[in-house]
Amino acid sequence: MAVIRDMMPAFELFRPVSVDDALQLMARHGEAAWALAGGLDTFDWLKDRIKRPEAVIDLGAISEMRGITADRGGLTIGAMTTLTEVATSPEVVESFSLLSMAAFHVATPQIRNQGTIGGNVAQDTRCWYYRGGWPCYRAGGNICYAAAPKAMNREHCILGAKRCVAVNPSDTAPALIALDAQMVIRSAGGERVVAAEDFFMSPAVDITRMTVLEPDELLTEIRIPETWSRARFYFEKVRDRQSWDFSLVTVASAMRMSGGRVQDARIVVNGVAPRPVRVTEAESVLIGSPANESIGLAAGEAAIRRAKPLRHNDFKRPLMRNLIRRAIRGQEA
Amino acid sequence: MAEKTIGRDIAPPDLVAKVTGRAKYAEDFRAEGMVFAKLLASPMPHARVRSIDTSEALAMDGVFGVLTADEVPQPGAPNEPALTNEPLYEGEAILAVAAIDETTAADAIEKIRMDLEPLPFVLDPLDSLRPDGPNARLDGNTRIGREVQTIKWSEEDFAAAADGHMPVGQPGDEWSYGDVDAAFDAADLVLDETIVHQSLTHHPLESRSCMAYWQNGKLFIHGSTQSTARTRAAIARGLGLELHDVVLIAEYCGGGFGSKISGSTIMQVPALLSRKIGRPVMLRITRAEETYLGRARPGFQAKAKIGYRADGRVVAMELFIVQDNGPYGRSGDFRTAADMASLTYQVPAMRFGGVSVYTNTPPKSAQRAPGGGQITSMLEPIMDKAARELGIDRVALRHINVPDNDGVFGPRRRGLTSAYVREALDRGVELFGWEERAARSGQRHGSMVTGIGIGVSSFVGGSSGFDGLLMIREDGKLYVHQGIGNLGTHSIADTARAAADVLGMPWDRVEIVWGDTSRHLPWSAVQAGSQTTHAHTRANHAAAMDAKRKLQEIAAGDLGGSPGDYETGDGRVYRRNDRDTGMTFARAARRATQLGGKYSGEELPEDINAMTVTSAQALAGEGLMGVAKDTYPHEGSTFSFVVGFAEVEVDFETGHVVVKDYTAVTDCGTVLHPRSLAAQLYGGGVQGMGMARSQRWVFDPQWGVSFAKRLYTARPPGILDVPLEMKWAAVGIPDPQTPVGAKGIGEPPLGAGAAAITSAIADALGGRCLCRTPLTADMILAAVEGREQPYGPLETHV
Amino acid sequence: MEIFRRVANPWNQEVLIGISWDVMWAAAWAGLAFVVFHAVFVWGAGKKPEHAGADHGSAAGVPERVERHVVAARVFHWTMALAMFTLLITAFFPVLGIQFAWVTIHWMAGVLLILSVAYHIVHATLKQDFWSMWIEGRDVADVIRLLKGFLTRTDGRSRTGKYPADHKLYHHLIVVVAGFAIVTGLLMMVRVDTPFWTRNPYLLADSTWGVVYVLHGFSGVALITLVMAHVYFAIRPEKLWMTRSMIYGWVGREQFLEHHDPERWVVTGAAGVEPPSLSAGGVAESVPQDPDSAP
Ligand SMILES: Cc1cc2nc3c(=O)[nH]c(=O)nc-3n(C[C@H](O)[C@H](O)[C@H](O)COP(=O)(O)OP(=O)(O)OC[C@H]3O[C@@H](n4cnc5c(N)ncnc54)[C@H](O)[C@@H]3O)c2cc1C
Ligand code: SF4
Repeated sequence: MAVIRDMMPAFELFRPVSVDDALQLMARHGEAAWALAGGLDTFDWLKDRIKRPEAVIDLGAISEMRGITADRGGLTIGAMTTLTEVATSPEVVESFSLLSMAAFHVATPQIRNQGTIGGNVAQDTRCWYYRGGWPCYRAGGNICYAAAPKAMNREHCILGAKRCVAVNPSDTAPALIALDAQMVIRSAGGERVVAAEDFFMSPAVDITRMTVLEPDELLTEIRIPETWSRARFYFEKVRDRQSWDFSLVTVASAMRMSGGRVQDARIVVNGVAPRPVRVTEAESVLIGSPANESIGLAAGEAAIRRAKPLRHNDFKRPLMRNLIRRAIRGQEA
Repeated sequence: MAEKTIGRDIAPPDLVAKVTGRAKYAEDFRAEGMVFAKLLASPMPHARVRSIDTSEALAMDGVFGVLTADEVPQPGAPNEPALTNEPLYEGEAILAVAAIDETTAADAIEKIRMDLEPLPFVLDPLDSLRPDGPNARLDGNTRIGREVQTIKWSEEDFAAAADGHMPVGQPGDEWSYGDVDAAFDAADLVLDETIVHQSLTHHPLESRSCMAYWQNGKLFIHGSTQSTARTRAAIARGLGLELHDVVLIAEYCGGGFGSKISGSTIMQVPALLSRKIGRPVMLRITRAEETYLGRARPGFQAKAKIGYRADGRVVAMELFIVQDNGPYGRSGDFRTAADMASLTYQVPAMRFGGVSVYTNTPPKSAQRAPGGGQITSMLEPIMDKAARELGIDRVALRHINVPDNDGVFGPRRRGLTSAYVREALDRGVELFGWEERAARSGQRHGSMVTGIGIGVSSFVGGSSGFDGLLMIREDGKLYVHQGIGNLGTHSIADTARAAADVLGMPWDRVEIVWGDTSRHLPWSAVQAGSQTTHAHTRANHAAAMDAKRKLQEIAAGDLGGSPGDYETGDGRVYRRNDRDTGMTFARAARRATQLGGKYSGEELPEDINAMTVTSAQALAGEGLMGVAKDTYPHEGSTFSFVVGFAEVEVDFETGHVVVKDYTAVTDCGTVLHPRSLAAQLYGGGVQGMGMARSQRWVFDPQWGVSFAKRLYTARPPGILDVPLEMKWAAVGIPDPQTPVGAKGIGEPPLGAGAAAITSAIADALGGRCLCRTPLTADMILAAVEGREQPYGPLETHV
Repeated sequence: MEIFRRVANPWNQEVLIGISWDVMWAAAWAGLAFVVFHAVFVWGAGKKPEHAGADHGSAAGVPERVERHVVAARVFHWTMALAMFTLLITAFFPVLGIQFAWVTIHWMAGVLLILSVAYHIVHATLKQDFWSMWIEGRDVADVIRLLKGFLTRTDGRSRTGKYPADHKLYHHLIVVVAGFAIVTGLLMMVRVDTPFWTRNPYLLADSTWGVVYVLHGFSGVALITLVMAHVYFAIRPEKLWMTRSMIYGWVGREQFLEHHDPERWVVTGAAGVEPPSLSAGGVAESVPQDPDSAP
């Protein structure tokens, strides 16, 4: 049967107004259900007729999933809060500017107005083989086209490759991990809370999913604890264009200093692995040391020691190293 | 007398409709009973259709019919059909389905069974030249003359490729002039570089959607095209129809950049499908489809060997270009590239060889500065390298080489109408602050290293010999009929200024008639090759002169005196020494209608084109007609020039490039419309920057399937990728060989923007020319870090 | 039931990519059905089968403990069992929805299996009585008798050589099935990165890979059934003596005489028989030490 792309097929659309209703619908339709947030990832899949859910459950009318509330020094952010809201919210800007910077670096103003933070962390990879509808591992097949000897894999990963070499494209994810955010997940059966660090799925475990969300689960909110409030933050995203572009490598870090030395730090990099990676190698070099160029370089080197490039993405090694270096010493050398 | 319109900023008449969204583009039209078509695209880069079974699709509710390759004209090889049974690139359309809506049409396509036999394919032209390499077409891998032929090089020819140098073998085209070998021997410096310029899609914002229906045997077609008169002719020719049986409505066009010069091939699909099913058919082209069938710039893999005298004068050049031709036709880019190199550096002795190789990639066509854009962005950093090695200023090196009015170019050593490149360089040096900035070149602060670049771009700037047609109607207004297209530049209005100024007509009483061939348009240039400004200021000038003569004759006849005693202005024809004696254009128009004959278009000049004749006959008797063919002298070749200057900062830790400043100075003769000129200089410059930096497409070598089909992966530059402030200036010296003095300016800005960036990046890298496009962060970082480049030196489609 | 998994490749050609997981379920159900059927049938027969023509006559010279599996053979068996279970678990648990990082463990277990098999082949050829596994004319007769006995609910078993005919058959079946799994698995190793090479999925054509995956799949699911049957027999009360011999290495004189024909399995003296030991590792400890405690 012939293939056609870029033309959305018909499906059943639900528009529940409460999380409970949405969860009932998710439970009822199981694998055939698709949660729709801003649609910026969703619509590509639907239009290309690659993913064909029977029931699309639009979360847009659920007001309880929106908004940012201060919460014991921390914040609770509804999953349906738009990226623009996250980027511009005074609470976020004041205490957790790392996250607002990350949200601000997503795509374009239009996409940020439409895209949600929940969708941003739950979004699928942008590997173009997979997005092209090729039957790769991630699509349930038995091959990775991007890791073939002559494949075009400039944007793919240098770390954590497990059959799949795609990268997680989210800009907010590394910031959330750096802030030690907690992801609140609900299903008809109940609620569980998962640390942002554990929210993302390694392809070694389940190659067809980007997160630990089960088909009947929703991410309802993201809680940011007070822990890293007003810490020393660094965010940088390197991309081919300054807007409307996914990152080549993104770094997000949070540091606490004491007496000129780093007391505690979390450094997270995205765009280098199938899930955002917390670079503990770099953190351990850093903690207890001053945050300067030489420590930055050492930490960067430590972070890329295990990196293994594909045919076209060796540049991500120095890039990742240098971004970690900058996160530690600050932008100017 | 009305103020001259030429040289002033006047908003074009279609502007408000465009910015308010009232303008209707092809896909905005609806017609009674209209249905939608969808295309079935080949999944393989080269294949033969063994069988197609559409029965299940046709049995669906809401499906009206299918159009296959057997039902569309199949032009002889190597020309492109609208639908094919032997797809030559992934994405090529095999058939179309018409249905009540697009969802149904797409569902129907999913029900079609198709058996394809995969055939050998090739993406990289060099692969096809290898002794046992595949051919993209079954009948050969290149076209020489009219024939499709096969050229294969020997293993020895490819020996150079082993260490990354451009191999050279048997060319398909070649020419030379001067004693090249002797000139190289005498040279003080010889550079021999391998360059790879990417092939990239045009990506106009509006895709080539099209709606068609038939009434009483006449085809009505709403399309997106750069040209009007010529596109209608192409549609008629393609479908074997009489010209008067085609009505083309194309008032607005969301860009074409050369890809919609006619863009008529795919229009055959809705046209024929509509005829077949007896309903209007709308074919909306998606972004991905636009990438497939929307044309692309041919890529180059080339060797550039250049000999210099110690003072920087280029004394010899050898250029050998292997061109990625795509699967159809034959692109002239590589030949133009050689001409432009010969012209820009006034090369005294030059040898050119090249072969345009068929590949299984989307079809190629002219893209803004075809050939010129590629070669300018590639050669300018090499010129910089020579300047560095010879220890001379980079501007000085250009100064000594660029053409002036005595310039000649190409194998036939043809002359120019005018060239004021030195003036442009001088102006640019001042405006950009070259001295001060050049001193900053290579300076590092933090991780950022400054690079200063310069790009001298030449490109064709005009043709001649087309028709002008205008009417002065009884309402006293001047109606300028324009057969050119409205591709997003302002040429439909701006070239009409020539007529307004000849007649001294206030601009608010000038109406432009365009975009609909039922509105009686004259034969015109294709809106391409930067011809329009030149060709149609001339044609409209000629028609206005004709009208003016007629006005003068009518006035003299009615009011006494000789025609020479009369002048026109402010909508009147009046006695030069007695302004009160005269008549309004409205009255003159009435008189013309009464007089008939040549005055009202009943009698027409002999030399105008048949299409103009038909239009003029239709308009005859409705007022005073000005109609003429442009027969003004035009001896030399017309070229325009842009010199671009850029300052960039390269982040040595990330490979990221920030364009800090861009200045463009042009010699395009008389400036018609400053704001519009600025739009061309900036727009073309930015497009060139995108070509040099971020825009690209990519193929998987194993499957021959393309990626980067959408704008977010194809990465044309965005507003944050260009400097906030850019500067421009024009030399403004009229071209002596055209009455208005204006030359075309659509294309040369692109090469200047691209070259200023490739030159500036090389400068920041301490003079290291990566000699390829696009120059992305990964390549720059690899260069800075001394790591291996991510792609092989000859690798294409990266 | 779907048998194969097919997908459209990037050229929209339908290609095989493996067997459908339905087949896995089918194999598991088949294994279970066999076990249940056998168990019920034997239980229904109601009596503990006696060996036809059990004849203690030629027992002279049979030592107290007859060595059945030397240490090396036992080590091999249990290593292989470990590898096999690991392979099956890592292959099929993820399909059941139990997610973990299985690929590396799977291929490493595969390498272990291959090494152990290689060792076994060398050992069996050079050190062991290679021919004891050979199917002889008498084995055919044994099998026929066995089947007849089973169906007529009489005891069809005869006293056999070292390896009963059904064991030999099972062994050979495993050789073939595991052989396919190993060969196809080795080929598939080309598609994963290891410290020794970078993967290349295009080494074989799409269609050839399809066949490789299908064979691997079929042999994999066949192993489910075969392993289920094996485990079942190993824990059947009347077979435990044999299982135990895979742990301790020897069978008691009684059992020897009951099940084996000393003429077909000639044992000489007590040489080489070891006392009960823990040489089979942890497994041994969990099994009753007393060889006579058999039911
Ligand atoms: C052109 C383009 C450029 C982009 N560039 C960037 C970029 O630079 N950086 C970046 O980070 N992102 C980028 N994005 C991604 C975009 O920001 C995300 O796709 C978007 O944020 C996804 O969010 P959404 O709200 O649109 O979700 P959707 O597209 O509706 O959903 C995305 C996925 O998440 C699931 N999902 C959504 N919400 C929930 C929930 N609450 N619980 C469970 N599952 C859920 C959906 O089922 C779906 O699978 C880009 C997207 C586009 C189209
Ligand atoms: S990288 Fe992952 S998503 Fe991309 S082709 Fe390979 S398996 Fe599929």
